[in-house]
Amino acid sequence: MNLLLGQILNGIATGMLYALMGLGLSLITGVLNIPNFAHGALFAVGAYLLVSVVGVLGNFWLGLIVAPIGVALLGLVIEWAGVRRLYAAGHDYQLLFTFGLALILNELIIVIWGPVGISHLPPALLRGGVDLGFTFYPKYRLFVMGMAGALVVLTWLFLEKTKYGAIMRAGIENKEMVSLLGIDIQMLFTVAFALGAYLAGIAGALTAPIRGLSPGMGVDMLGIAFVVVALGGLGNLLGAIAAGLLIGVAQAVVAAYWTEASTAVIFAVMAAVLLVRPQGLFGIR
Amino acid sequence: MRTLLLIVISILLLPLVVRPAIASEIWIFAIFGLALNLLLGYTGMLSFGQSTFFGSAAYVAGWLLKHYGINVFAALGVGVGVGALSALLVGYLCVQRSGLYFIMLTFALNQLFYFIAYQWTSVTGGEDGMPGIPRPSVLGLSIQESYWYYAFISLLFLLSLWAMKRIVESPLGKILQAIRENEVRAEAVGYDVPRFKLLAFVIAGAFSGLAGVLYAMLFGIVPLEAIGFVVSGNVVFATLIGGSGSLYGPIIGSFVFIWLSESVSTMWARWPLLLGVAFVIVVLFLRGGVVEAWTRFWTWRSSKQTG
Repeated sequence: MNLLLGQILNGIATGMLYALMGLGLSLITGVLNIPNFAHGALFAVGAYLLVSVVGVLGNFWLGLIVAPIGVALLGLVIEWAGVRRLYAAGHDYQLLFTFGLALILNELIIVIWGPVGISHLPPALLRGGVDLGFTFYPKYRLFVMGMAGALVVLTWLFLEKTKYGAIMRAGIENKEMVSLLGIDIQMLFTVAFALGAYLAGIAGALTAPIRGLSPGMGVDMLGIAFVVVALGGLGNLLGAIAAGLLIGVAQAVVAAYWTEASTAVIFAVMAAVLLVRPQGLFGIR
Repeated sequence: MRTLLLIVISILLLPLVVRPAIASEIWIFAIFGLALNLLLGYTGMLSFGQSTFFGSAAYVAGWLLKHYGINVFAALGVGVGVGALSALLVGYLCVQRSGLYFIMLTFALNQLFYFIAYQWTSVTGGEDGMPGIPRPSVLGLSIQESYWYYAFISLLFLLSLWAMKRIVESPLGKILQAIRENEVRAEAVGYDVPRFKLLAFVIAGAFSGLAGVLYAMLFGIVPLEAIGFVVSGNVVFATLIGGSGSLYGPIIGSFVFIWLSESVSTMWARWPLLLGVAFVIVVLFLRGGVVEAWTRFWTWRSSKQTG
């Protein structure tokens, strides 16, 4: 029983990270109307940047600030140099472009950081665990839960309570109308891409001390981010959280009893939900 | 007719230019490309999960070949059947959503099959792949020798091309193209659009399955990559560089892609980096593919000659 409760907590922590990934992807895909196959690679770059920044500056917190900003800047460059030229080009070419970027980033990770997995310790302050009564739980995971939760809330506040957030939501609904209202839609696209990249980057940075790093981490996370968006719906914040938690907890619980199936179960859960609700959890477009 | 002649000539000449294994792979990949193009070019469905059907067929037929020694026609039949069946399962979930959702779902379900193959090591061999797949003889004729197997593959390729040509020129093919052009209108005219999309998906799965079995028998092994996302991406890339606008585009794409990747991948372990760069360059500068570039070149030339 205690094992199960501990696993559910683990599932919530990773589920919040999945929600962050889905949320970022949802912003990019929803606002720009492109399939972003580089989203997983941005996640991986965030994790590796954290390790390097911590290696150089010796401070985890600085790494957690700098690494996602680095990924956001990378997103800015990608949008500016490539994606921008492909808005009129059909999903097939947009897909090929972002997939090509994913391959390039993935290979660059191997070239720069090596093909072997790296483990990364949490900062000294967050090592060890706390006694929750039913289980002794790692501090760092509690921190991730809180941090990811805070980021989701901040994103929600930005989208719902600020003027620019409202414009962004309008952009997901109807791009023509937004540009007709005299809003710089190009700027909106760039901001959405950078923001989505930032969320992927920080999810990667937060993941590094939990799971360690390997070049394959990006692709694995890409599939998961797709699951979150397919279940939660584009631009649906609550959907992303619900979907992220659902697959995070399902994965953690299955991992306790049948470790081999713990990744496949994410996709199996998605298939099962879609079988009952083809339109996703909250019935979106 | 001229095109057919050109294809037959290339089938005959190809083994003189490249190793028979690579020549065989080109026609296998061309069958795979034909399958994807039924979805991408003719129905307007961008599937990024075609290796699901390619890989599933390769594993199941490979396993039966290895452990039960089934004959070559049974293996091909199993491959086609498994390809179609897995496409029915995946397609049923995917065709109900369109656009970006469709793309993401095909990829996510591809990952489901990939991770099953990855973890089910007692059957698939996991990361090591499934080796030891025999190549049984065809009606008493051995195809062990690589040139004979090449001939066998070429024959199946021609058969596939003929079948696909029949399909796209049939009323079904016209309906699929109508869906591509205007889904709402096709629905309004009275066609059950999701059902036709699913049918196209299953047909493409069957062809992909055929390609998968031929691949398994070519190399005698089913590597884990056969069911991975990179293969799904490669076939999209090959089809697009060939040009998804014509029936023959994927053949040219397969030729260019396999030839290039086989020559480069043996030279450098980090060759996916170059592949990624190639993707980006093609997308930014060479949209429309080889066929369109070729047509543009000819119109440009003839306009110069007449002018």
